[in-house]
Amino acid sequence: MWFFILAELLVFGVFFLAYAFARTRNVELFNASQLELDQLSGAINTVLLISSSYFVVRAVDQIRHGRSRSCTYWLLAAMTCGGAFLVLKLAEFGAKIEAGITMSTNTFFMFYLGLGFFHFMHVVLGMVILGAVTLKAWKGGYSAASYSGVETGAAYWHMVDLVWIILFPLIYVLH
Amino acid sequence: MKYKSQAVAKPYFIAAIGLFLGQIVFGLIMGLQYVVGDFLFPAIPFNVARMVHTNLLIVWLLFGFMGAAYYLIPEESERELHSPKLALAMFWIFLVAGAATILSYLLVPYASLAKWTGNDLLATMGREFLEQPLPTKIGIVVVALAMLYNLSMTVLRGRKTAINLVMLVGLWGLAIFFLFSFYNPGNLVKDKYYWWWVVHLWVEGVWELIMGAMLAFVLIKVTGVDREVIEKWLYVIIAMALISGLIGTGHHYYWIGAPEYWQWWGSVFSALEPIPFFMMTVFAFNMVNRRRREHPNKAAVLWALGTGVMAFLGAGVWGFLHTLAPVNFYTHGSQITAAHGHMAFYGAYVMVVLTMISYTMPLMRGRAANGRVAQMVEMWSFWLMTVAMVFITLFLTAAGILQIWLQRVAAEPMSFMAAQEQVSLFYWMREVSGLIFLIGVLLYIGSFFIKGKSEAATT
Amino acid sequence: MMKAATFQWLVLLAMTAVAVGLSQATLSDNAILAPVLLTTLIKGRIVIDRFMALQGAIAPWRWIVLGWLVLVLGLIGYAFHMAQT
Repeated sequence: MWFFILAELLVFGVFFLAYAFARTRNVELFNASQLELDQLSGAINTVLLISSSYFVVRAVDQIRHGRSRSCTYWLLAAMTCGGAFLVLKLAEFGAKIEAGITMSTNTFFMFYLGLGFFHFMHVVLGMVILGAVTLKAWKGGYSAASYSGVETGAAYWHMVDLVWIILFPLIYVLH
Repeated sequence: MKYKSQAVAKPYFIAAIGLFLGQIVFGLIMGLQYVVGDFLFPAIPFNVARMVHTNLLIVWLLFGFMGAAYYLIPEESERELHSPKLALAMFWIFLVAGAATILSYLLVPYASLAKWTGNDLLATMGREFLEQPLPTKIGIVVVALAMLYNLSMTVLRGRKTAINLVMLVGLWGLAIFFLFSFYNPGNLVKDKYYWWWVVHLWVEGVWELIMGAMLAFVLIKVTGVDREVIEKWLYVIIAMALISGLIGTGHHYYWIGAPEYWQWWGSVFSALEPIPFFMMTVFAFNMVNRRRREHPNKAAVLWALGTGVMAFLGAGVWGFLHTLAPVNFYTHGSQITAAHGHMAFYGAYVMVVLTMISYTMPLMRGRAANGRVAQMVEMWSFWLMTVAMVFITLFLTAAGILQIWLQRVAAEPMSFMAAQEQVSLFYWMREVSGLIFLIGVLLYIGSFFIKGKSEAATT
Repeated sequence: MMKAATFQWLVLLAMTAVAVGLSQATLSDNAILAPVLLTTLIKGRIVIDRFMALQGAIAPWRWIVLGWLVLVLGLIGYAFHMAQT
């Protein structure tokens, strides 16, 4: 799993730098387009992902003490946050599409929509992984002695969070 | 050989090697036509020689993959093949259809061939690498489906391992993606999409699964390293291949009329495509270094290591060389592409099939490994072919750089043919390397006929 | 131990608020670059070392991931700085 996380970080890293350096050649366009973004939605999404990451930390701690049931609850809380992130993100994308903005509008929106969607798919995958872990935890499949599945799922989820932690200031905030 | 039915692989491999020889001969004809334009004209014009060269490559690699699958799947599944008779019947159908297709390319004008084979019913012909007439295309689908049925039944009822599952998924993908070749929309942009979904998703997608499975299979056998270790590697390699390869298709969308953002997505993801190949190299060397036994078949080990290195160089490095959109803007469709194509196909797919043949053929002929002399000749052929291919690639790369300079970058760009004239020296040197490659192929074939004390069969 | 995690979570939230606040305040572009990147660096480090629990993990992993963070943020900073001057 760690290998995948590194590979993912590499891909996102390259895209972040591509954004930063593509911007240097077109600062005005990037700054003007950035103003059209819904920064509030982005900020709420940051809070959601950070919190869900925290809930996952709590879930891992619970299973470490052998408490399957409360591990499940923390995981469900994390997934609720993840779900809310997806809903907000869809609303954001929907608004942009309604405004007639696509990946072909300009380079800024190519990155905003492209990277956003790419990250979105990672959240979806993370949700699937967390869902599988939650289900197994619910059935009592983990114990204080054997919980590496929870840790692995948690690591992936934190990676998704980590990427967003950079993506948000990069695309929504810095100008 | 553990199961009798694995022997059906033998005719497949023999046909593959025969067609391989044919491919090289046509390659040489074509290479000469680069510099002596009317060589063999009008009997074999350049476009026909090219079509035969590339189609033979695809067909013999398919023979190789099929043979490998028929050998590998029963052994991994620990049971006899579901139906060896069906496998043999498919061999003959495929061989006859393949030979008939190649002959028809050579004997009939392509337009007449299209007319006679129902191209006006469903137009599928005329696209590079997918030139096959409709009946041949249908034949490929039938043969592939019969093979998949045969292999899937074997795996379903037998042991399931990472290796046979990856192999099976790869072969299913191969068959499914080939279906795109039946759709040939009039819109040129769409046409290119569907074409790439066959060509790219084959060689930079599912074929990598097949290759990974074959390499892992041979490495388990010759090194004796734990299956668990090898399977872990295999999973990581194919996952990387799929992640980078699928979106990496975007590097073909740069200039075909697709949206501009593909220049970013194609560049970034295809820049990652060398990673799985690099891992295959590390994988092969690592496993051989950790070997727990000295397998008597030294030639097979050499091929396996060679595959790792040459696939990384040809597919990975030479692919990366011109995959970034700003670079590709200049290099697109130049001799750089030809250089990459040659070394990538040789390093990845030709060599992995030869690795498999090298490991399995002695077993199918009732011995663990060939005698010392036969192996030595085989290793010589390895070095001749590999070094010749390195030089072919280098000369074509040099030709490509010069061509791009003269034709696309210089202050007063030359026309295509004028630029070709200027690089002809490299074409001559490429042709000489090609001759050495042919000697390598002949030695390779010769190594099968060398008698001598052979290692006793143990498996 | 979980008290620490809760504290880290609150720090993460606070850092997010700081970054958003900075971008809303009508400061010059140059002025917000360094503080925003710094908050991001701190957030990234918390997630990597604490949440992913890489602090104390066997050597290469932690340094690869932390190195990735520093490198990416550093180059972003460089690119943005270059664009302003």
